[in-house]
Amino acid sequence: MAEELSALPPDGPRKSSHRIRTISVNSMRSLPPSSLHAQRSHLEYERPEILAPMPRPALAGSRHLLENSAQWLHANSPESSRQVSPTLSPRRRFSSLPHSPTQSIKFPASLSSLHEAEDAEAPPPREKESEPAMARRWLRWMHKRGVKAWIVPSALLAATCVKFSMSLGSYSGQGTPPMFGDYEAQRHWMELTIHLPIQRWYTYDLQYWGLDYPPLTAYVSWLCGVVGHWLEPSWVALDSSRGIETEGSKVFMRSSVALLDALIYVPALVMFTRIWQANRSKRTQNLALVTLLFQPALLLIDFGHFQYNSVMLGFALLTINFFAWEQDLAGAACFVLSLGFKQMALYYAPAIGGYLLAKCLYLGFVDGGKLFLRLALVTSLLFIALFLPFLPPFAPISAILDPISRIFPFARGLFEDKVANFWCASNVVFKWKNWASSAFLIKLSAVLTALGFLPNVLVFLRIAWQTQLPQGAKAPSHTPILPLLPYALLTSSMSFFLFSFQVHEKTILLPLLPITLLLSGAPIDSTIFGWGALANNVAVFSMWPLLKRDGLGVQYIALTVLWNSLLGYNPLRLPSRSFVQLLSLAVYAAALGLHVLELLITPPARYPDLFAVLNVLISTPVFVLLWLWSIKCGLEMSWALGGLGNAVPRSQRTSLVGDDDTPALIRKMRSVSSIGSAQGRRRAPFVESEQEPSIDQVLS
Amino acid sequence: MEATDPKVKPQDSAPTSSYFQYPSSRRKSWFPFDLETSEYDVLLLSTSLKLLLFPAYRSTDFEVHRNWLAITYSLPISKWYYDTTSEWTLDYPPFFAYFEKLLSIPASFIDPKIVDLNNLNYNAWSVIAYQRTTVILSELVLGVALIRFIRGSVDPSTQRIISASLFLHPGFLIVDHIHFQYNGFMFGILLWSILMARNGNKLASGVLFAVLLNFKHIYMYLAPAYFVYLLRSFCISPSGQFEIKNFLSLANAVIAVFLVSFGPFIVMGQIPQVLSRLFPFTRGLNHAYWAPNAWALVTAADRVLLRYVSRTGADVAINISGVASTSRGLVGDTIFAVLPTVKPIHTFIITVAFQSIALIKLWFTPTYKSFLTALTLCGYVSYLFGWHVHEKAILLVLVPLSLLAAERHAYFRTFILASVAGVFSLFPLIFTPGESIVKVLYSVLWVLFVYLPLTRRVYEFPRSLSFVIIDTLEKIYLAGFPLLQLFVTLFPILVARRQQQSAAVPIVETCISTADFTCPEPDPHPAGVAAMEFLPLMLTSVYCAVGLVWGFCRLMFVYLNEETTYQGPLSRI
Repeated sequence: MAEELSALPPDGPRKSSHRIRTISVNSMRSLPPSSLHAQRSHLEYERPEILAPMPRPALAGSRHLLENSAQWLHANSPESSRQVSPTLSPRRRFSSLPHSPTQSIKFPASLSSLHEAEDAEAPPPREKESEPAMARRWLRWMHKRGVKAWIVPSALLAATCVKFSMSLGSYSGQGTPPMFGDYEAQRHWMELTIHLPIQRWYTYDLQYWGLDYPPLTAYVSWLCGVVGHWLEPSWVALDSSRGIETEGSKVFMRSSVALLDALIYVPALVMFTRIWQANRSKRTQNLALVTLLFQPALLLIDFGHFQYNSVMLGFALLTINFFAWEQDLAGAACFVLSLGFKQMALYYAPAIGGYLLAKCLYLGFVDGGKLFLRLALVTSLLFIALFLPFLPPFAPISAILDPISRIFPFARGLFEDKVANFWCASNVVFKWKNWASSAFLIKLSAVLTALGFLPNVLVFLRIAWQTQLPQGAKAPSHTPILPLLPYALLTSSMSFFLFSFQVHEKTILLPLLPITLLLSGAPIDSTIFGWGALANNVAVFSMWPLLKRDGLGVQYIALTVLWNSLLGYNPLRLPSRSFVQLLSLAVYAAALGLHVLELLITPPARYPDLFAVLNVLISTPVFVLLWLWSIKCGLEMSWALGGLGNAVPRSQRTSLVGDDDTPALIRKMRSVSSIGSAQGRRRAPFVESEQEPSIDQVLS
Repeated sequence: MEATDPKVKPQDSAPTSSYFQYPSSRRKSWFPFDLETSEYDVLLLSTSLKLLLFPAYRSTDFEVHRNWLAITYSLPISKWYYDTTSEWTLDYPPFFAYFEKLLSIPASFIDPKIVDLNNLNYNAWSVIAYQRTTVILSELVLGVALIRFIRGSVDPSTQRIISASLFLHPGFLIVDHIHFQYNGFMFGILLWSILMARNGNKLASGVLFAVLLNFKHIYMYLAPAYFVYLLRSFCISPSGQFEIKNFLSLANAVIAVFLVSFGPFIVMGQIPQVLSRLFPFTRGLNHAYWAPNAWALVTAADRVLLRYVSRTGADVAINISGVASTSRGLVGDTIFAVLPTVKPIHTFIITVAFQSIALIKLWFTPTYKSFLTALTLCGYVSYLFGWHVHEKAILLVLVPLSLLAAERHAYFRTFILASVAGVFSLFPLIFTPGESIVKVLYSVLWVLFVYLPLTRRVYEFPRSLSFVIIDTLEKIYLAGFPLLQLFVTLFPILVARRQQQSAAVPIVETCISTADFTCPEPDPHPAGVAAMEFLPLMLTSVYCAVGLVWGFCRLMFVYLNEETTYQGPLSRI
């Protein structure tokens, strides 16, 4: 335990102007001298490697030292996620070490003699550096050309261009009367909201795509409808516009998605990279932005299939951004908006609620109580405001039942289409409907879902309890439970996806958001990266039957290939023979095999859904494993942050690491606030260039 | 930065020198599989975007090419140039017909309906995917040529940007991947031919150009420059001696190419029929949408003068048939109302006159760079002053001009002006709203990625007041394009709304003049709206024409004054 804690990334001498960019060496300073010695001999032993232009193989020898300590953070690779900056040769990087600001460890002179050996032994630096990620190559190019100020605008522009190119394709239900698809549903809501009084919104002709999303969707539809009506009344004419498929109306609908996406989701992404990855380099932040912008699953559903998921996800993302910014009230308000737009945001509710509860607990009785009351007030007021037109005095009290019964359709079955969740997958061998009544199944699914998300909620509360602030202490700038939030979101949304009733294949977008957020800051050969990319690819694969029906096959291939090469994702590059690597390889082989099979043969008449079922059987295990993995990460994190259990009473827990150490330790734990640090990579001190010895000096 | 790095340069320029010394060793890297990651990136990015554009709008050219697949597949060669089943008869030279024949064989396996002659306007997913794929694949010729440009260039990192800019050119995206044609493929052959000229293999250059002419005869615009350059630098030695051996080999090779192409038709005695298909001399001065050339300016001036004359009642003879003709935008004869009418012979004389200026200069300085500039100018002159020029022909200017872009600031500025105006002038080809957004966004991105890295390389400190003034004016001109785009986008919406309102309220026309709305002139026929619809096109055409004509003047001036000033890196070749 002590070892684990002492190896936490140190707070870093923020005040100092010196910075070292390699975490591995930085963390070496916090190790006992003996282990450092061992590491140094390691370094010397691997001399030729350390001098290679790439830092990664160079530090392979030191990996095991940090692996134990950083495991809870899931940054298996201790090295910086940054590649060597193009202008900085490794020699210069390492030559800065002896001048490290803390100076607590004197580096042996042998290190500089090492540099002399470099010229003799090291191969000449390769001109073409093998940077696997296309996005990072592009970023590097932009930096090299001195146009890095244009990175974010051009990335946003390129993403918009791709989105509009996607929009040229077909959408769900195109040319399939009489019911059409999701596109028609959204368009129909515009039509009915602008032509009907508000009380009839949730009751009008329910058989034809009756409104079944919460009021914010209705309000947004109304707004879009008003604009559409202004542009061309026939697009949203009541009843007579059903199934309208003119070129103009399609462009209008597509543009409305793009506009809402640009107004809510894209700013939320930018804000995320700037807040959650605040202590990462600008380049890594921008890389994360590109990763998130081109996430294929969301693009395919929103701009291909046609939905407004990015609004709901954007609000959810804003929620966690505000949490990281310590604006809990604004965060809670955003979450209410997210829920108010699409009830699917409920999948996140346990994590968000758990976080806020834990925050209150953590702040102590007085501050926490205050916060709790404020949160309760803000959320309930906002909910009331959203539902106001359906409440007295604007409507009879019974009117509220219309939206509620529409939003939560308990009357439908356990699952409808083929979807890669527990119920559908297990239904292959175990016919649930024959075995139990629908009411029982709903209860069962509720229990299983709750069991699914409970672990991480409990972890939240436990950490909050264990790190609770002493009475009257001033709250630090960051709460210790924050890094856990993405994992908790993943766990809760995944448990909903797997176990709750009436799940659609598109709902996988909800678990995908947190895992993609985690992936976006992770180094390319880390476990998180492996899981994140696997989850995204399998999610897109699991939606293949839907996309195929919508006629989006070409887009499916183009976007998946594009995103993976932007990331430079290659399962072979993951930690060798790790679980996630083996799993990825197996799953990709199966998925590819299924696609080839689908091309070659038509399913037998007895099993028309053969390929869809096989798809479910391939995807579901991955999602289940991802869910288990997220629980594991949460638990590991809780051990790291709060200790291994109740063996040590709270009053004595600081004695674990020695009394004199305590303040620093607590500071350390609380500073673990961003995903960057959660992955074990703080930006380590780095000696400014004016202090660097020149190359000649080193060589002499 | 890259270029100045001493470590990088020797490695890159090493193969360069070997290229020039041993052109025969080229065979080894005929197919360059030694792609660098950045080149893969460009290929992957562009391909995925082009895949997304599969379902985009297609012009009638799509059906034209499908029909040609059907003609070449299902008819014997003797009937290719006689078939009139579809109105889109075969009117490209024979090599293109052979190319279509080649493409029609896999097409018949994929979907036999594609090559069914009577299956007009077939638009199943199979034919869309197949034809779009053939465009993407045939464009690889362009990619290969561009990569080979990088390999032997003086400054590979700059050439890489230029090559990428050409491969990702919005002109190709708009014309090939949305509108549908095979320009990428044919410009690939053109660039290959230019590459051969750069590498000193002039015979191959000439042969490739002859091949290109037999794919699409519009490249005749460039033929004078090729003729003068090859005659001067290949058939006449620097000392002024006539190299009869070179001349004969070139002449024989070119004749052989034409024989291969037209041979079957000569044997069958169909040459008059083929030529009548290739050169239909029945069209007007301007195309439906005026291509932004000098005639667009003249036509616009005529319109303005007509307005002026009819307002003031000045005593000028007005050609009545011209009043209705010009702005209607129909394919047919353009008759000016006020200005003297232009005949094909006039355009021909002007074209030849301007071209000969550049060609005389080329005759005396037959270097690669001079050739490239003269080639650009030849295309430019034909585009500006030619008879019935189509706006797509601007690519004939932009592609060779791109190769000169990083030469020095004067070239670069001309390149930017011509590219922005030229690409903008292609926008009206794509009028569907969804694709319009894509074309604008993509073009902005392209300009951004070409302008930003290159502008720093060619920066020159302004040396005189006139330089500053011209620079400012050009910047103002460029800044006008976003406004123009805004107008072009919003105007139809506003017109449609006004139309709706007037339709909804059928009141007898009682027009009240207010401060911001003056009564339109009483229109004798209710085609006022149609004329208004033509207004954005007219504005686009005139505004682009201004830039393009100015760009031409710039380039001509720079070319004629080349020796007296600084010379760019291409002069070294």
